[in-house]
Amino acid sequence: MSVGTMISDLLRSLFTKPATELYPYVKTPAPLRLRGKLMWDPARCAGCQLCIKDCPSNAIELIVIDKVNKRFIMRYHADRCTYCAQCVESCRFNCLGMSNKDWEMAAVKKQPFEIYYGKEEDIALFMEQAAKPGTDQSCPPE
Amino acid sequence: MTTDTNKFVIPIGPQHPALKEPANFEFWVDGEIVTGASVRLGYVHRGIEKGAEARTWTQNLYLMERICGICSHVHATAYTLGVEKLAGVAAPPRANAIRQLMGELERIHSHMLWLGVAAHEGGFDSLFMYSWRDRETVMDLLEKISGNKVHYSANLLGGVKFDITPELAAEIHKGLDFLEERNKFYLKVITTDETFIGRTRGIGTMTTEKAEFLGAIGPTARASGIARDIRVDAPYLIYDQFPVKVMTHTSGDLHGRFIVRINETFESIRVIREILDHLPGGELTTRVPRRIPAGEAVSRVEAPRGELLYFVASNGSEKPERVKVRTPSLCNWSTVLSLAIGLKLADMPMLLSGIDPCFSCNDRSVGLKSANQDPQIWSWEKLRQYGIEYYR
Ligand code: SF4
Ligand code: SF4
Repeated sequence: MSVGTMISDLLRSLFTKPATELYPYVKTPAPLRLRGKLMWDPARCAGCQLCIKDCPSNAIELIVIDKVNKRFIMRYHADRCTYCAQCVESCRFNCLGMSNKDWEMAAVKKQPFEIYYGKEEDIALFMEQAAKPGTDQSCPPE
Repeated sequence: MTTDTNKFVIPIGPQHPALKEPANFEFWVDGEIVTGASVRLGYVHRGIEKGAEARTWTQNLYLMERICGICSHVHATAYTLGVEKLAGVAAPPRANAIRQLMGELERIHSHMLWLGVAAHEGGFDSLFMYSWRDRETVMDLLEKISGNKVHYSANLLGGVKFDITPELAAEIHKGLDFLEERNKFYLKVITTDETFIGRTRGIGTMTTEKAEFLGAIGPTARASGIARDIRVDAPYLIYDQFPVKVMTHTSGDLHGRFIVRINETFESIRVIREILDHLPGGELTTRVPRRIPAGEAVSRVEAPRGELLYFVASNGSEKPERVKVRTPSLCNWSTVLSLAIGLKLADMPMLLSGIDPCFSCNDRSVGLKSANQDPQIWSWEKLRQYGIEYYR
């Protein structure tokens, strides 16, 4: 039986650096497999919507511009996403992936969480249509 | 409990600075000594079981993970095992080995978290700080394997998402060496430190008979000498190839619960090393149909806190008909209420944390006391009938 059994640890800590990380000032690189922001590659997408069916939090939507020519854009709601990577597993064409660099996504407004992926001209076309009065816009900007 | 109005009742919670999770306790005291105790749960009831019926089999995997943030992997494992049983498929051996490996890493992380919390409740804050600092090691390992520190989401229906590469295996070995050394030190601290022993030895002693009678499970029961562990009694995954030893202790007091949990950590470290050295080869996933054949299945796994049971029923569609979860924390409450009597009020925080309660997995139903004839208050019979109708 003894008293103060942890005193040696405590004394040693007086002479070592704090165990806490100095994040925002010093950034340790994220692990290779970190599940950060979802990325989508429009080139390979077949529009099968399996990813959307399996997403547990309805965080992704596929907007069809031209079904025959396989022109789609993807609307990704990063604030709803639980970063589970189920969509990545569900896609048979490897269109989806999760970034290990892009993960500092905090924002004070809802707008930055609505992310559009796809060819630029397709997104422009969609935005133009959506801006017309009377069209349905499921996620209006604030 | 008693309705004697002359008793002095100390209510603790649901919001209380010393209790991080919402539960309401009432302790009847006579001076310093507790003469009766009662608990009211249900403040974080989230309706997850009902929510499961509105989601597909795959989506539910992630909902079940969110029942508890500490043992998320074990919930997903129990659910997948049930669904795979219904679908009549078996995950490949490599997938099962990785599931078991993640499960044991999770147990280390859970037990070290508990060690910190329990030490903190006893006023031993340096043990709390240092055990939590070292817990980061195992959480970093889990993040390296899966890409997330808390909800690893390693399971898929029919397999796992992440493989263990040789480089990862080397890192896990390194991390385990450090954790083993630290846990040996913590075992020394809790078995030799006089102040710590003073607060734990002989406090809340539960005999084997009493533990059986109160239906204690998990490490709480094992500290009272009951050698009960699903990993040994009904091996799932590949616990038959990589078995674990049941850790028991005979003292039955709080001190025994500390020793059992730290010894379990060593056992987990040993079995992880064994799995890493003999990882079966082959595929990571196998195909599971989107529609699960109609039927019912029960799956049982050993969560860090004790036996976790899932009942899954399918009607042949893309969504489950019913998912019923029985979590270990709820089973151990009666031991706290019964052991509290005769102890000092100051022992209550440690006694409570001794069962490693997890409130978020606890709260499955709401029971209200039937006092005056308020229409808001239901009798058990009425609630039961309502439940049957609701789930029909
Ligand atoms: S990571 Fe999960 S929650 Fe996020 S979009 Fe993919 S499936 Fe949905
Ligand atoms: S699963 Fe893949 S191919 Fe199918 S819609 Fe999603 S991203 Fe496109």
